[in-house]
Amino acid sequence: MPSLETCRVLKNIPERGGIYRLVLRAPQIAKCIQPGQFIHLRLPALEAHVLRRPLSIYAADAREGTLELLYQTIGEGTRWLSTVEDGTSLDAIGPIGHGWQPPKELSSALLIAGGVGLAPLNMLAVQLAKTVDVQLLTGAQTGERLVLPSTDNERIAVTVTTDDGSIGPKGFVTDLARKRLEHTHFDYIATCGPEPMQRIVAALAEEFAVPCEVSLERRMACGIGACLSCVVQTTKGSKRACVDGPVFDAREVIW
Amino acid sequence: MNLSINLGGLVMKNPLTVASGTFASGREYVEVWHETLGLKDASLSRLGAVTTKGVSALPWQGNAGCRIAETASGMLNSIGLQNPGVEAFCEKDLAWLADQNVPVIVNVSGHSIKEYLAVIERLEHEQTVNAYELNISCPNVDCGGMAFGTQPSAAAEVTLACREATKRPIIVKLTPNVTDITEIARACESAGADALSLINTVAGLAIDIRRRSAVFERKVAGLSGPAIKPIALYAVYRVYKAVNIPLLGMGGISSAQDLIEFLLAGATATAIGTQNFVDPLACIHILEELEDWCRTEGVTNIQELTGGLQ
Repeated sequence: MPSLETCRVLKNIPERGGIYRLVLRAPQIAKCIQPGQFIHLRLPALEAHVLRRPLSIYAADAREGTLELLYQTIGEGTRWLSTVEDGTSLDAIGPIGHGWQPPKELSSALLIAGGVGLAPLNMLAVQLAKTVDVQLLTGAQTGERLVLPSTDNERIAVTVTTDDGSIGPKGFVTDLARKRLEHTHFDYIATCGPEPMQRIVAALAEEFAVPCEVSLERRMACGIGACLSCVVQTTKGSKRACVDGPVFDAREVIW
Repeated sequence: MNLSINLGGLVMKNPLTVASGTFASGREYVEVWHETLGLKDASLSRLGAVTTKGVSALPWQGNAGCRIAETASGMLNSIGLQNPGVEAFCEKDLAWLADQNVPVIVNVSGHSIKEYLAVIERLEHEQTVNAYELNISCPNVDCGGMAFGTQPSAAAEVTLACREATKRPIIVKLTPNVTDITEIARACESAGADALSLINTVAGLAIDIRRRSAVFERKVAGLSGPAIKPIALYAVYRVYKAVNIPLLGMGGISSAQDLIEFLLAGATATAIGTQNFVDPLACIHILEELEDWCRTEGVTNIQELTGGLQ
């Protein structure tokens, strides 16, 4: 269940391509957050911007009480966030949402990330790598925007690709995924990135008959399941991206 | 200090409720209060009343496509009154609310007078309901909704029909999207409304210049948040002078100061809406601020503020 926690900014540093890494001290949230869950962050200095911003968690350390987030500066909210200095207090609702639910019996997993969509897959990769080998495909438009996992882990095999070929082979991550699926058997696929990309991954999963989960993004107001702003149409009716998602079974999503 | 008020027969221990649709039935918020404040302080009974999301006779799917957009100091919504219908509402929400020890105002929505009546007739069998708020002012549905709230005769007709179906207090929720809100207010008063709530959202449009299209499928959406507070205050001020029934004021309240402004303009009670999204503990924070202010200012009875504008 989410709580409202006052978090302290420990680090807020630019990586590349307009992507920032934000480290927050948030012991309450850090101790219980699960892979795929997110926080809903208030932008206190932007009074004209009344809505919070939902942000994925890239890594969490329960012992240290810290959360690590990756965000891309897209609108005024994330641009403001990029100017926040160490020591600032920010309030967050979290942890929120239904996270990844990989099958219990698992021997191999394929994770497919588009750009900053890698953020919510990173914690999953680390968790799965405790018991199985993970293949992680990460793609982006350019090398600058490419995002990599937080740690080197010998059970996480990372393959990169970019649309312009500036890092790794030139091409789409979905093409790479197809090739991988043609040669290797997987029990589980998890994906996050631009929605058209996730849709293609969902179709691939169907074609190769592999259980697949997607992580969807919607504009969100309350973030706790009350306002019905963030609905996703599914075969089981309209669901709330915030608390019924953001992770959904790919077969249930009506794209 | 006495914070209690009487809103057309509905007794509230303080002048604060929530704006319909921003709070569901309260369960999600109480869970956050519980996790944040501990069990003792996390009770819906701290509110003067809870106002539920709009309930219709049959389930409504709500609107397709994008449902919200942020605007300067506010937001537009086009949810479209998605709700599971009165039967599911009774089973899931009212059953839960029965244990919360808080007065319940059920917001009633319909496409036709018959549908408003069907909801009320079903809810008359339920003890947990303390008052009805008739939504004749939602800009986000085609039939019904705002159509009833923009014509004095139609507003009176739906109010009268519901009046005959219940002895419980009826609060009619008005839209600001009219030439003269006092005319509609008087029509509802004459038809037997016990109180009026105002304002519902202000009709607005958002445009995506890249696609050269409206952000929302229905084009029109409802503006809420601090941006509409002056519009809401002026509507409350005018309606207060035009009718003799109490008013539930709302529109952009984000602090105790805002709340007090509504009381001075003529509201007997107030509702917190969009601020619940900004701060899930907004109701609790604003109530604490209100008590502090009354103590500092020596206000012993909150009712003395209503219409106190010099």
